[in-house]
Amino acid sequence: MKQTNSPKVLQGTVGEGLEQRGITRREFLKFCTALTAMLALPPSMASVMAEAIAKARRQSVIWLSFQECTGCTESITRSHSPTLETLIFDLISLDYHHTLQAASAEAAELARTQAMQENAGKYLLVVDGSIPMGDPGYSTIAGISNYDMLIETAKGAAAIVAVGTCATYGGLPKADPNPTGAVAVSDIIKDKPIINVPGCPPIPVVMTGVLAHFLTFGSIPELDDLGRPKSFYGETIHDRCYRRPFYDQGKFAQTFDDEAARMGWCLFKLGCKGPVTYNACATTKWNDGTSFPIQSGHGCIGCSEPNFWDAGPLYKALSMPVSATASMLGAAAVAGAAAGVAITWHNRSTKASAKAAHEKVTPQELLREDK
Amino acid sequence: MSATLAKGINSFKEVIDTPIASFFSSCVHCGLCAEACLFYTETGDAKYTPIRKLEPLRRVWQQEYTLLGKLGKTLGLSKPVTDAELEAWEPLVYDSCTLCGRCAMVCPVGNDLTYMIRKMREGMAASGHAPEDLVGATTRAVTIGSPMGIKWPAVLAQIKHVQNETGIEVPVEKEGADYLVLMSSMEIINFPEYLSALSRIFKQTGVSWTLAQDAFEATNSGIQIGASDLAREIVSRIVVAAERLKVKCVISPECGHAFTALRWEGPNLIGRPFRFEVKHILEVLDELHTAGRLKTKGKDKRPLTYHDPCQIARRGGVVEQPRRLLNEVASDFREMPDAGVMNWCCGGGGGVSANSRAEPLRLQVFKHKKEQIEATGTQTLITACANCRIVMEEGLEHHHMKVEVIGLTELLAQYLVEDNTP
Repeated sequence: MKQTNSPKVLQGTVGEGLEQRGITRREFLKFCTALTAMLALPPSMASVMAEAIAKARRQSVIWLSFQECTGCTESITRSHSPTLETLIFDLISLDYHHTLQAASAEAAELARTQAMQENAGKYLLVVDGSIPMGDPGYSTIAGISNYDMLIETAKGAAAIVAVGTCATYGGLPKADPNPTGAVAVSDIIKDKPIINVPGCPPIPVVMTGVLAHFLTFGSIPELDDLGRPKSFYGETIHDRCYRRPFYDQGKFAQTFDDEAARMGWCLFKLGCKGPVTYNACATTKWNDGTSFPIQSGHGCIGCSEPNFWDAGPLYKALSMPVSATASMLGAAAVAGAAAGVAITWHNRSTKASAKAAHEKVTPQELLREDK
Repeated sequence: MSATLAKGINSFKEVIDTPIASFFSSCVHCGLCAEACLFYTETGDAKYTPIRKLEPLRRVWQQEYTLLGKLGKTLGLSKPVTDAELEAWEPLVYDSCTLCGRCAMVCPVGNDLTYMIRKMREGMAASGHAPEDLVGATTRAVTIGSPMGIKWPAVLAQIKHVQNETGIEVPVEKEGADYLVLMSSMEIINFPEYLSALSRIFKQTGVSWTLAQDAFEATNSGIQIGASDLAREIVSRIVVAAERLKVKCVISPECGHAFTALRWEGPNLIGRPFRFEVKHILEVLDELHTAGRLKTKGKDKRPLTYHDPCQIARRGGVVEQPRRLLNEVASDFREMPDAGVMNWCCGGGGGVSANSRAEPLRLQVFKHKKEQIEATGTQTLITACANCRIVMEEGLEHHHMKVEVIGLTELLAQYLVEDNTP
């Protein structure tokens, strides 16, 4: 019988829980192998991961949502049951999550403080949404400002996973003119390991992959200079894009409905930000590996990069200037052309005088008198 | 009147054009060209990195044609190119570059390094830093008419010999013929089989052709040494003869650089388009074969392989034609690794074989060709360049290899269907 009600609470270890749900060891190993591959770990790590996860007690996770749109939560839950992604929900004990928890009012807050006490120093804190630094009243939960709640909850956390571009870099709330004074988690918390999982929203399997890594190794995966796991954010969309050969051949769609667009040519000129966006969309894809924006005919908007909303119009090619005005560009073009003419004229005269100085070479002149 | 440093530097300034300026400014210093160069891969010496061979020319470009370079030169921060420097570069530019163009194929920004070396040699020659042997060959080509000092009587003797052997008349100075046939000195002296094979093939295919008394030599030492004034004079002889005899097409022989000199450099040297076509002999034979005029019978049973001459395949675009012809007369044709446009040079092109100083290096780098041949397991090597042929024959002998080298035209003639009824 397929269960359709809210996720069942499982006791004991993850292994027991999986057994109760009728998940075989073979299925579980397949799941671990897939995760190992995604995390770019050696194949031998699959069984290690399976051992570790099976024996682990379900990891306590507290999920805080601040200035956000619930898209990240939608993303992690929006996966067809029963997929690998829903399984991972049974690997953790999600002790507090506004959107998903049944409890409300004081009971809800009690769940959070209880989990914090029982698992002090061990729980994993997941944050989505940015934190307003302007007026604390811009965003509160149970009368507690986002800032206070983050400081209080982060104190006993083993590590923090910032999920979504708002929590990782400020995201849409931070877009110019940033009315709420929104900042990222890493702008406030400096003494805890933070894993940034950006994206608007992030790919579900990237979120579950990071959690699995933490569960297996008790440590955070290797991160890049922006705090992102290298295994998922190591390469640009462009480098992994199936339309890349068209870019290399200079074949571009000029409008969304031209022949080139129908032929599936590169969307660079229509504003695709794939070349500067580090994410796994082109390989992992969305909706159970079905597709990703470029595959459905729209350029990448670069949603997993810092300040993407202010990085220029979504439909302007990356090579087009974003801030200069037409008159500035005109003046620059005139100045450039003038300098070009001057240099060309000078170089031409250098070459012309060299030509004038050319003495016809005869066989005798191939030898040196002084040699 | 002699070569001077000032003339050389002036020549550098003169040859730097838009392509060279953009090549130098777009070089990303990746060093990929080194791995493509025979002289680097076989010696492991970084001084043979192709782009480094152009360093004096690059410095002149920087000092004369770039803003920062001019400033540096004015302030005395960058020193002018000296005679000592050009002397040190002479072996790099002439002995260890065959103008094979393999480096240009791998350059990620598309720099044509061969084009640059060719232009740089103009300044090297004008400053008196060209190898002695090349100076000698060029002088003979201009004054006598052939780099090896061959005159028309020697060709005439050759013609008589061929006529006696084949019983076919070799047409000379025949006005209105379709094709003007050229030869290389190497073919006149070392490989008379070429002329004999050609007259038999042309007789069977009914091609009207001729030789010209004052333009039998296809090679162009002016191109190899890098003296456009002399190259122009040499190529003009062919142009004058071809237009005098009103031929439709001039056939470049089995020689690599002769094809480059006539087909690509020729019209640029004389400053106007030719009034005739230029084709390599393999192109002509392939056309005759495709048209069904060139018929062969039987196939060579020996396992054999084909060496692509750089100027004909990589720089000349004649790649498919020899394969089509070979498959017609060979039952066991085997490609060597990297065959086609990425083939490795024999090591003696671009004037290197005419330069005795370069001989030890040339024999050393032949190792690569040796390995390529060995990989095919064949003992018969076909090619379409008399220079490649002599260089490889010397290399094979030096490395004690029992491999026979044959020209493709000659091989085709062996299997020609001959109808000798008058």
